[in-house]
Amino acid sequence: MATSTGLYHRTYRSELALRHTRAEYARLALMILGLVALPYLVNNYWLGIVNTILIAVVGAVGLNILTGFTGQISLGQGGFLAVGAYSSAIFSSRGGMPVVVSIILAVLLTAVVGAFFGLPALRLKGLYLAIATLASQEIIIFIARRWEWLTEGQGFISVPRLEVGAFKVERLTFEWQWYWILLVVAVISTLAARNLFRTGLGRAFMAVRDQDIAAEAIGVNLTHTKVLAFAVSSGFVGLAGALTAHYTETVTWERFTLEVSVTYLAMILVGGLGSIAGAVYGATFISLLPPLLTEFSDVVKDNLPFIAEQLPAIKNAAFGLIIIVFLIFEPRGLDRIWQRMKDYIRLWPFRY
Amino acid sequence: MSKEKHMSRRIPFKVAALCGATALALAACGGPSSSEASSDGPIKVGIIADLTGGTGDVGTPYNEGMVDYIEWRNSEGGVEGRMLEADSNDYAYEVPKAEQLYKKYVSDGAAVIQGWGTGDTEALRGKVASDELPFMSGSLAEPLTDPADSPYNFVNVATYSDQMRIALKWIAEDAGGAAEVAVFHNDSPFGTAPVADGEAYIKDKNLDLGYEAYPMPATANFVGLLSQAKSQGAKYIVIQNVSSPAAQVAKDLKAQGLDMKIVCLNWCSDELFITTAGAEAADGTMMITSVSPPVTDKPGNADPAGFLESKGSTLEEKGLHYLQGWYTMHVMAEGIGAAIANGDDPTGPAIREALETMGPIDTGDVMGTPEFSKDSHRGSNSAGVYEVADGVMKTVEENVSP
Repeated sequence: MATSTGLYHRTYRSELALRHTRAEYARLALMILGLVALPYLVNNYWLGIVNTILIAVVGAVGLNILTGFTGQISLGQGGFLAVGAYSSAIFSSRGGMPVVVSIILAVLLTAVVGAFFGLPALRLKGLYLAIATLASQEIIIFIARRWEWLTEGQGFISVPRLEVGAFKVERLTFEWQWYWILLVVAVISTLAARNLFRTGLGRAFMAVRDQDIAAEAIGVNLTHTKVLAFAVSSGFVGLAGALTAHYTETVTWERFTLEVSVTYLAMILVGGLGSIAGAVYGATFISLLPPLLTEFSDVVKDNLPFIAEQLPAIKNAAFGLIIIVFLIFEPRGLDRIWQRMKDYIRLWPFRY
Repeated sequence: MSKEKHMSRRIPFKVAALCGATALALAACGGPSSSEASSDGPIKVGIIADLTGGTGDVGTPYNEGMVDYIEWRNSEGGVEGRMLEADSNDYAYEVPKAEQLYKKYVSDGAAVIQGWGTGDTEALRGKVASDELPFMSGSLAEPLTDPADSPYNFVNVATYSDQMRIALKWIAEDAGGAAEVAVFHNDSPFGTAPVADGEAYIKDKNLDLGYEAYPMPATANFVGLLSQAKSQGAKYIVIQNVSSPAAQVAKDLKAQGLDMKIVCLNWCSDELFITTAGAEAADGTMMITSVSPPVTDKPGNADPAGFLESKGSTLEEKGLHYLQGWYTMHVMAEGIGAAIANGDDPTGPAIREALETMGPIDTGDVMGTPEFSKDSHRGSNSAGVYEVADGVMKTVEENVSP
């Protein structure tokens, strides 16, 4: 990947560095500054939305590992989120385990469940696999709805407000405290995923995506790699599910329907398949869309009532429209658009 | 950017360490405090409505009733001189959207929240309690009536479980002996809410009724479900769903020529059910609801009817669930008024206190007289039994308790 002209590496280490140019460090510094300043600039409502974005980032990164990097399409995202959420909620509020332990167990359990439902991937590809993972979504949600002991017959699980040791989330600073927790988790997840694709395993994932027969010919163990891709990806998704459980404090299957799976697919499509940064952009974009449309409807409500009346319908249409527009104009998503913008500025006034 | 220089690998760590330290320092200072609105300005009411989702058919008139009530109340001088300000948005029956709207209302300084579905009301229950915001909703699920569990949720009328008990009680009397009951319910927390309580009631009262629950599939055809009910030998079908799918059951029942009687609970007991099913298929359907239909001409019909007339509409056109929305908002407004009359700022805890201590609330006989206490947020446990005859809801019995 070309980053800049006149950039020569004299060591492997410098070649492997995540960032090479001064501009990249400047952007990193700006981003960190922005993230640190953010909770002081926005009100609780928007901070709450940022928090849901941070959780979505973890989930979208997980899905992109599987679908974007390993080429195994998955419609089971909602189900795996549910596994993470239910298990962490049950371990912590009924099993009495510390929250951190229950989240780690939830991640591991979701990875195991993900690997199990990934087994059909050994035989199936493309659309066939999509239907197989759709089955996993339906099976998991069916279990969540019908096994009454999961929720003790209540239909939902109440999760107590987060407490880790002496640290306690308070009512008035709820979003604010969660922001720092979720930010740290999201950053660690993103960095972990980013680095995964610089290891042999990550490259094996990509080899399977690009041409599985060739990958097998150069010594990649397909069975092992595909199942592991499902496990790793589901681990991230389970983490997002567990965070959802503790952040929203109620676990109900209604939060993990097929629609959620499709929304996550939209995130990585809009963001850019096979790009960790793309997963972050996509999660941000898709999560911001509904609240921005709500704001928009607030603005036009008074001036253009006839548009406001149609807004619920417009909201549904806007979502579909945006995905179609992306597929037509930039199938590689927001990540690619950002790259092109950078290229444009760097090379200006020349085309290339 | 032609000249590039290698940066030392240590710099990012320095940057990260610096930022981490800043974050910690800022965190130590404590977060921002939330602003609680208290002045003579309007009292904000956040409304989470379903206009386009799975229950939008009855959610729409309910929401119109709420919004219109606020407009009417303000035109009458408001609550104890204070105006109400409605912020109503559609959430399409999706829990995450309800959560997003709820957070928006909280940050906008809403004093009370009017919600809708069972799933989202249950999901928000904990937050509502810790934010101390009185919360009424279209959901009449029984767990919401226990202040120990849900301290800020109020249920104005008979719960789904009570309505189910009343339905079973009526069925037992009507059958006069053994009978099989099939329960068709919406496949969601809303639908399943009364199912187990109904079964327990039969055991408790030793009723000679068979009881089988069937989740309603998301199809436009219930012939398959009806054939299951037929093989059960069901003579009665209790429906816990909204009007449109329930009306489809009535149509399919008619087309199949089966001898079964439909008993609708709250959200399919309305005129929409009758018009959708057609008077012929709807006739003979029993309806259990705590809200008197407009045709019964209660004193409480006058205000909404007058308001609608000024808007070029009629109460008959809007129907029963418009009244339910109107009077649910009325109960909340009365609570706010009582809090102000007590000399308190209309904050969440003050409104909750007022609702618990103000005694019965007059709804002009439309929705009974809801009354709350410190130990129970169950406004009432009685409902009316109606029968559809010639396409109109006829009163069979009022104020039936389980």
